[in-house]
Amino acid sequence: MSTRETNDDRIALLQGTLDLLILKSLVFGPRHGQGIARSIQQQSEEVFLVEHGSLYVALQRLEDRKWIRAKWGVSDNKRKARFYSLTEQGREQLHEKTGQWRRLTRAVGLILDANHRPQSEEA
Amino acid sequence: MFRRRRSTEDFAEEIRAHVELEAEELRRDGLSADEARWKARRKFGNLRAAEERFYMQGRWVWLDRVLRDLRLGLRSLLDSPGFTLTAILTLALGMGANTAVFSVMNSILLRSLPVADADRVVYLRTSNPPRGTGTIDSNQTFSYPVYDALRRQTGAMSAVMAYVPLSGNKVAVRYGSQPEEAEGDMVSGDFFSGLGVKLPRGRGFTEQDEKDHAPVAVISYNYWARRFARNPEVLGTTLYVNGIGFTIVGIAAQGFEGLETGGSTDFWIPLQNRPELNAWGNPLEDGKTYMANPTWWCLSLVGRLSPGVNKAQATAQLQPTFQQAAYIGLGSPMAGEKRPTLSLIDAKGFPGYAMQYGKPLRLLMGMVGLVLLIALTNVVMLLIARNATRQREFSMKLALGASRGDLLRQLLTESLLLASAGGLAAWFFAVLATRALGNWAQIESSLAPDGTVLRFTVAVLAVAVLLFGLAPLRIALSAGPTLALKTSTAAAGAEAGKSRMGRMIVALQMSLCVVLLVAAGLLIRTLRNLENTPLGFNVDGLVVFGVNPDIKSLEQGRAFYRELIEKMRELPGVESVTVMADRIGSWWSDNSAMMVDGKLPDVANGSSRTVRSNVVGPDFFRTLGVPILAGRDFADSDTATSPHAGIVNEEFARRFLPNQNPLGHLIGPDNGMYQMTIVGVVKNHKYRSIDEEPIPMAWYEYAQVPIVGRMDVELRVEGEPLAILPAARKTVQQLDPDLPLIRPMTQRAQYDLTISNQVLFARLAGCFGLLAVALVATGLYGTLAYRVNHRTAEIGIRMAMGARRGQVLWMILRESLLLTAIGVALGIPCAMLVGRALSSSLYGVHPLDAASYLLAVVGVATVALAASAVPACRAASVEPLTALRTE
Repeated sequence: MSTRETNDDRIALLQGTLDLLILKSLVFGPRHGQGIARSIQQQSEEVFLVEHGSLYVALQRLEDRKWIRAKWGVSDNKRKARFYSLTEQGREQLHEKTGQWRRLTRAVGLILDANHRPQSEEA
Repeated sequence: MFRRRRSTEDFAEEIRAHVELEAEELRRDGLSADEARWKARRKFGNLRAAEERFYMQGRWVWLDRVLRDLRLGLRSLLDSPGFTLTAILTLALGMGANTAVFSVMNSILLRSLPVADADRVVYLRTSNPPRGTGTIDSNQTFSYPVYDALRRQTGAMSAVMAYVPLSGNKVAVRYGSQPEEAEGDMVSGDFFSGLGVKLPRGRGFTEQDEKDHAPVAVISYNYWARRFARNPEVLGTTLYVNGIGFTIVGIAAQGFEGLETGGSTDFWIPLQNRPELNAWGNPLEDGKTYMANPTWWCLSLVGRLSPGVNKAQATAQLQPTFQQAAYIGLGSPMAGEKRPTLSLIDAKGFPGYAMQYGKPLRLLMGMVGLVLLIALTNVVMLLIARNATRQREFSMKLALGASRGDLLRQLLTESLLLASAGGLAAWFFAVLATRALGNWAQIESSLAPDGTVLRFTVAVLAVAVLLFGLAPLRIALSAGPTLALKTSTAAAGAEAGKSRMGRMIVALQMSLCVVLLVAAGLLIRTLRNLENTPLGFNVDGLVVFGVNPDIKSLEQGRAFYRELIEKMRELPGVESVTVMADRIGSWWSDNSAMMVDGKLPDVANGSSRTVRSNVVGPDFFRTLGVPILAGRDFADSDTATSPHAGIVNEEFARRFLPNQNPLGHLIGPDNGMYQMTIVGVVKNHKYRSIDEEPIPMAWYEYAQVPIVGRMDVELRVEGEPLAILPAARKTVQQLDPDLPLIRPMTQRAQYDLTISNQVLFARLAGCFGLLAVALVATGLYGTLAYRVNHRTAEIGIRMAMGARRGQVLWMILRESLLLTAIGVALGIPCAMLVGRALSSSLYGVHPLDAASYLLAVVGVATVALAASAVPACRAASVEPLTALRTE
């Protein structure tokens, strides 16, 4: 997820992806960082392993952009934790980015499927 | 952006919370507490890296770095306060001197006239005046008919403006009841509009004002501030000039102080046509003012070129008009007479300053440039020495992973700090120095540094920063990371210590120092010569002041002065009294050819017929103390009705009446209108200024010439000369309560004014010479001391091997003597070039004056020896064992 790539487009894409996933995970209410990490990991069926350092940097970035806001609170098991929630701006961003992502995956899928169909038939 | 909303501690806390939450979850999954915590930590990855990434995020990283570099540089400079202080002081002196001189040069030579579109404004000049005319300046002044003809032309110039002072000095004014003096000019109606000078308060003049000779005046901003305390109510009030009332109608824009050379005009009035306000305060000639007198070329002219016309085109267009107008009222030119030719010169800068100060200023700029060079090289040498001793520090940094860029940045930061501190100090120094200079030279326009000067200083600073940062870099980098592992200080110092560059720089500084010392020596000897020049009379005990009485008729004027002299004689303490038309020692004189026995005297080919003359009162030579060689002084018995008496000096007699007794011969002005008999011959003495050469002179008796105007009164008194002034003022005001004493001062002070420029420049040159010597001494001392320090081990070994102290001493001294010899060998030829460039500023000193050169060489050698003595002695006193043990 967070490996450094020299290709600028790829980094932007990956960063954007993490941002999108974070925003999505906050749709149903505030969560703390560890909860976000765990939810992404679980919902992706353990495909994405979130590097926690990157997660917090991303959280900070989103907070700086005012897409999310943060507040210290107490977790379910009575531990102090910093809870993040979506702002109105963040909700709009989520909507927009989800749309972008769908278009992107669809386009990529079309290309990949077109090339791979014969092979899959053989298989 | 400098502070983020969230602290790093807060972030660390969040991470800690995350790890704990994670551990809790793992514990719930069945792991032991320790294992869970450990696994949670591992899962998170590098905590520090996360914190660092958080820290770097969203920050101005470069600013952060710069601040860090600045802190580091500051710490490193404060660690060696001796070095830092020396470097800053050296810079402050070197750059301060430059900034000061440049700012004077800027305000005098480079700043343009505060008029609209100054590039289009030109002064009018003539090659020569026509025959039979009198001028103020044979190239710069014109007659009224010429002005009148030129202003009527159209095409070449959009405006031709005339201006002329009301007095060669200051003119008597009165505002309220107190008589005072001020500098005033009469000007054309379109003077302000033509030049484009704004009048933020009130109005300027109109063509109609000039036609009507309207009684209105515009005052300068400075005069308004100085005399009227910026009171806006002054508009509409009356200023009396020579007793005639003028309504103040306007205040000129700040910065415009008229076009008079070196002066600042206090007020302007339209051109007048009445005897009390004749040009230059002169009495009427044959009852005619300057307007009606085509033989008196007294007006200065300035013009504005029409759009699209250049100087050459304008000159060509105006030439016929000018050449025709030049002879209005003079008859036609004689056969073979050289006709005057008009020319135009740029009026961009301040008038006359360039001529008066241009050369000495450029010279001083050159001198301070050399001083700056010495100062900069000094600091470079100090830096090289300092950074060479820091080689191990740099080497360590490289070994620890600093890049070369990091080192360069650090060096540049340090030099930036040094240069800024030095530059700041230099700026303050320059502001103070220019203020002092302005007072000293009595330059009334502001010399203070402005934006241009700031840009100049910053440019010099930028060069210094680069120089200081880059020069030591080579040494710093040459260290390489491996040097840190070596332990020997000798090894670290050896390469840098032998630096040939250091020696070359010292030799160069020595040669610059020789040049500066020779220049300073020549100028100071010039000054000594000027100060010790005998005036030819006893100047101490003389006091002089001017009076400008309201003269209605010749008889009344003569009676006024006769009465004044009589009353002055009665004052207690006054030994003798006389009057003169041109104040001696004020640069003024009346110059013309004279007839001797009815014809122009024969002179040897090429020599001049010019005679300087003056109109003086009784006891003139007795009052001054000029020895009378033959005949007599003027006396009260010389009156309007007695035979006309004249007195000449021995140069007059030698040149025009050789080998004869001059007494009894008839002399007079070249128009043949007036003749007088020589009744006395006096010894040569100085008339206009201290540095003048002997020239033929002649004196008229004031009661006999057909013209009388303002005069200066000369008193010889017992005791302190100025103490007589209150009594003298009272006496004058008994005769006329409106009369101020004009520029009262001792005659000594008046003569000193004629060499004030030379005094100023010689003193400044002397200061810069000393400054250079001091800088070279510190530089040499620093370099040698540093090198000896680094050769301690070597010297120890030499001494252990049997070298005697004397040999060690000589080893060190020999080096600096060698450098001195090279420096002197290089410096002398340069100094000779400089000396030749200086020759026109010298008085009584040959540009190759041996004493000045000898002094310079001895001075440099002494400084070199003194600066080397301390390090050499230290080297000689090295204990071989201690030296070796330090390894």
